[in-house]
Formats: sequence, C-alpha cells, structure tokens
Amino acid sequence: MITASQKPIDEIVDLIKPYQKVLVLGCGTCVKTCFAGGEDEVAVLASALRLKFKQLAQNIKFEEFTIERQCENEFIQEAAIAIGRNDAILSLACGAGVQAMAKRFEKDVVLPGVNTTFIGIRESPGVFTEECSGCGNCGLATFGGVCPVTRCSKKLLNGPCGGSRNGLCEIDPDTECAWHKIIERLTALGQMDNLKTYIPPKNWDTSLSGGPRKLIREDHII
Amino acid sequence: MKISNTPKLTLFHCLNSFKETASMFDGCEARTVKMACSSMTKDVHLLRAFESGADAVLVLVCSDKGCRFAEGSIRAKKRVEYVKTILDDIGMDGRRLNIFNTAAKDEGSITNIIQDTIVQLETLGPNPALNRRN
Ligand code: SF4
Ligand code: SF4
Repeated sequence: MITASQKPIDEIVDLIKPYQKVLVLGCGTCVKTCFAGGEDEVAVLASALRLKFKQLAQNIKFEEFTIERQCENEFIQEAAIAIGRNDAILSLACGAGVQAMAKRFEKDVVLPGVNTTFIGIRESPGVFTEECSGCGNCGLATFGGVCPVTRCSKKLLNGPCGGSRNGLCEIDPDTECAWHKIIERLTALGQMDNLKTYIPPKNWDTSLSGGPRKLIREDHII
Repeated sequence: MKISNTPKLTLFHCLNSFKETASMFDGCEARTVKMACSSMTKDVHLLRAFESGADAVLVLVCSDKGCRFAEGSIRAKKRVEYVKTILDDIGMDGRRLNIFNTAAKDEGSITNIIQDTIVQLETLGPNPALNRRN
C-alpha cells in the first residue's frame, strides 16, 4: 500500500482559502488503511476546516465525498457530479490519486491534502513501515524476502556493516537492522549460501533515478 | 433571535460512568450523548459537538481497568488527546475538551467536573467558531 499523512491544517487552510466551495475527496483504499484519507478522515478534516473558517469569518462550503480509488478512472467518474458543483477539490489520496484526478478533470483545481510518504505495510495497529522503494529490479529472492535497498539505512547490498547492535541499526536504534533480519531469514530457510555471491553495485536506471517510468502492457492495449 | 450567554456543554458518556441528577448542570445548557461503550467515542463526533455550538465537551468513561469491553476507556482517551491537538491546531484551544474516569454512582465528583468546566469556560470564553455573543 501507499502510505500518507495529513498535511498540517495551516497549510491546508492556505491552499483552500481562495475558494468558496471545496470538495474534500477521500480515497477508500491505501490512504484509508493508514488513516490519512478515508471516509473518516474526510469527515474529521471537513469538520475541523469548518470550525477554522468560521473563526476566520470566511464562508467556505465543504462537501464530503469518498470514492474507492482516486487512481482509477472507473472510480474517479463517481465523483464527477460532486466535482461539478465545487470550485476546488481537496484530495486526500496519494500523489498518484491527486494527479489522476487532475488529468481527468483538466479544468478543475485539485489540491493535495496529504503528504505521500512510502510504499509500506501495516506492521501492527497504528504502525506503518516502509518496505519497498520501487527500485524496478527486485532482489528479494536473494535476501530472504527482506529488502536492504529500503530497510538498510546504508542501502548495503553486501551487508551487514558491523554496526548492528542486538538486531537494531546503529544509525537509528528505533529501526531494525535489515541485515540482521536477512541473516535470520536466510538461516531459517537454509539459504545462507546466498551471501557468498558478491552483489555488484546496483544499476539505478530502473529506479526513479533513471527518470519518470512508464509500464506498458501491449497485450492490454487496443 | 434571542442570544444566550449561558455556557453550552456537550457530555458524552458510557453507560456506566454517568447518571444525571437535578442540579448537576446548574449554570449551563447541556446536551448528553449516551454511548454503549466509551470505545464509541469518535473524533468526528467530538468536533461536530463544537460545530453544533458546544463551548466545552466532556467525555466521561469508566476507569481504564473498569471498562467492560476491555479497552474502551483507553481508546477514548487516545481519541480525545488526538482531537485536542486538532482543536489547538485550528485555534479552538484543546482545553475545551476533556475526558475523565467516573462512576455513575459518584454524582458528587461528576458535578464537580461539570462545575469546574463552567468555571474554566470563564477563562476560555465562548466557542470561537460561533459568534453568538459578539
Ligand atoms: S489513489 Fe493512491 S491511495 Fe488511493 S487507491 Fe490509488 S494508490 Fe491507493
Ligand atoms: S529490491 Fe527493489 S523492488 Fe524489491 S522490495 Fe526492494 S526496493 Fe522494492
């Protein structure tokens, strides 16, 4: 899933104050799961904004709506009528969702209400961790299913570095040492031999460093 | 329209933490919201109480260990803390919202909580999002 967190209210207030009618638009998939942009967060943010603008004596009308996914046209369409009666959309989807809305509704103002943070998982209730950097060339098979590109503070492909303490990273003791995890997993899998192979410097061409990426599936294009 | 200067209080409570008595709400206009369990305390409901005109909102719940549904009071406390930060962020002052552990039979303590809140409102003033006393 994509994780995000709500922007500070003051920043949102500055973004929306030029408008009279604002649609607070939630996304019911990733950002709902991480409590940033689902139906509940739309309701809380809209309520907080109404209270804020009443204090500023500025009459902004807020409409609340949430669609299943803001990154897919089929779902986006459901918001069309609500978008039509507002001056601006405050999208609580990730950056992909905000841009999908902006592409679909070319003449409408689409503003981001959240900061998109990472590709991750819900580790435990209320805790989300980054797991993948979308490098475009996945090496998880070698590393026992633990990504050093994302989870090792130094992004070491031939680790560990030697600074690991009790399974924790020397850079940040709140972070698990990815290489400690890799070795634990490879030991359990009987695949420690994986680490005898030197892994050459990573080719970052397949990552964002190689420029904006596009995925094309000819078999799905008519 | 007649404009009221009496402080308005909205009180959310679980079934076991509150029982109204005649003089409890002297000096304020009160709305009470009964919840089957304090775990039903929701951030949006607390905010909407302020939108509906409350100058202060109280949440009364069982003791942390006394909740019949295990973690209700703890969850309620976390949500109240979160909404307090929102109130601070929007200039409403998080001190308008408070949560207390109470028992329905302890009417004296509950009355004190309500009356202390009314006194505190003299400092905090009316709900700044509503201009009814301006
Ligand atoms: S718009 Fe973003 S948050 Fe919503 S479903 Fe798509 S990827 Fe997930
Ligand atoms: S190796 Fe690349 S694709 Fe695989 S999990 Fe790590 S960052 Fe993601």
